[in-house]
Amino acid sequence: MNTEALKDLLYKIADDQLILGHRNSEWTGFGPLLEEDIAFSSMAQDKVGQSWQLYKILNELGESDPDTVAFMRNAEQFHNCHFVELPNGEYDFSLIRHFLFDTAEYLRFSMLADSSYEPLALLSKKIKGEIKYHKMHADIWIKQLGAATDDSISRLQESLDLAMPYALGIFEASRFDEELKADGIFEGESALMAQWKEQITKIIDQTELQLPDLDALTPQTGGRYGEHTEHLQPLLDEMSEVFKIDPTADW
Amino acid sequence: MAMKSLDPRVNRLGIPEEKSELQPKGMLDQFETYEAFLQVKEGKALEHVGPVHAPNEEMAFLFAKEQYSRRGMFCNALCVVKTENIFATDFTDDGQDVYNTITASPSGEETESFEVFHLMKRGKQHKYAGDVMASSYEDAFVTAKDHHQDAKPVFNVWICKTDHVLSSDEDDRDIWDTLKEKQYRDAIDYRAQDKIKAFKEEKSA
Repeated sequence: MNTEALKDLLYKIADDQLILGHRNSEWTGFGPLLEEDIAFSSMAQDKVGQSWQLYKILNELGESDPDTVAFMRNAEQFHNCHFVELPNGEYDFSLIRHFLFDTAEYLRFSMLADSSYEPLALLSKKIKGEIKYHKMHADIWIKQLGAATDDSISRLQESLDLAMPYALGIFEASRFDEELKADGIFEGESALMAQWKEQITKIIDQTELQLPDLDALTPQTGGRYGEHTEHLQPLLDEMSEVFKIDPTADW
Repeated sequence: MAMKSLDPRVNRLGIPEEKSELQPKGMLDQFETYEAFLQVKEGKALEHVGPVHAPNEEMAFLFAKEQYSRRGMFCNALCVVKTENIFATDFTDDGQDVYNTITASPSGEETESFEVFHLMKRGKQHKYAGDVMASSYEDAFVTAKDHHQDAKPVFNVWICKTDHVLSSDEDDRDIWDTLKEKQYRDAIDYRAQDKIKAFKEEKSA
């Protein structure tokens, strides 16, 4: 097994889950209604929990322990896509990101449930239910607000247009896509993107929203190999503030 | 001068320190309510768990799922019904069965299906008793007496139309199948007393 390729895959998935989990948790206490605040916060915790599980697999492959990996790295050591590190903005942007990202996440873990790398396949099967709810949540919100009022439709549309180049960055090609595919570990980013396009189109078609022409956009890439926007480091500083007071503290 | 909070998220909002005049809220600024019913295990009766606010039943289902069936709570099925679509009978006391207050007879017109929920103990939640075919809510109550009354007294009955119930799909049962290793989400996982004790022992040593 190609450990380097495997680590590359695990890191980017884990970092996406951790960073978006943290971002979404920033809505806790600020949600648009109490019920949604609870649901969105709960899903954010799910994502952080999933990242922890992935860091544990990485730990078994020789990487540092999950807390060190999560809290002690700098921005250029993170492999998440730019999309997940962008500030929350208004709720319309957070919902659009939730929809675009979680659809990809759902499909990614569905693919990984058949991975030849057993620890990852087992984990993917285990979290299938959590992610299914996330996708259900996103789809229902987008269908609801994407066909409700002029205001909700135009705000979602603006966010969709803004988000799309970043969303395409989720599928930034990996240096190891061919090897991962050959080993039966992961079918690759372009295969995932094709499924994703089909899925998001299916939901967008049930709304008044217009899907931008994806082929005309330049994907925002670089995140998978440590190039990030100016938004990641402040997030990391805030997330690890307490941990860094005393990294050896026993929690 | 912006308000300074220990929460960086609050500081980012840039809320001015001067208090602004609070605008009075409209009378109805909330979404309508839906009642959630949960089945903890296959074969167990659905039981009322509480209300959620939502703009429609699909979203009520989304909210009820996280509100009432997360964090390792066991759940096999979840239903939501709009509160205004639930017909509630009077309450009885002193062990009197509400079914025994009925004077009318069933119409015998089986035009629609209704679902019946019983309150068996004051302070507890309504539990699913079964369905009946009847012509109206009142008629469903009267008809339910013949089908669902037994030796134990019922203190209050809720009735709704079967068509008004949104139930979880059997195929979606896995949404309750979640990662169990999330103790960090529970306050109980942080053993504050142990930490304080250890700290004190360390100080006195």
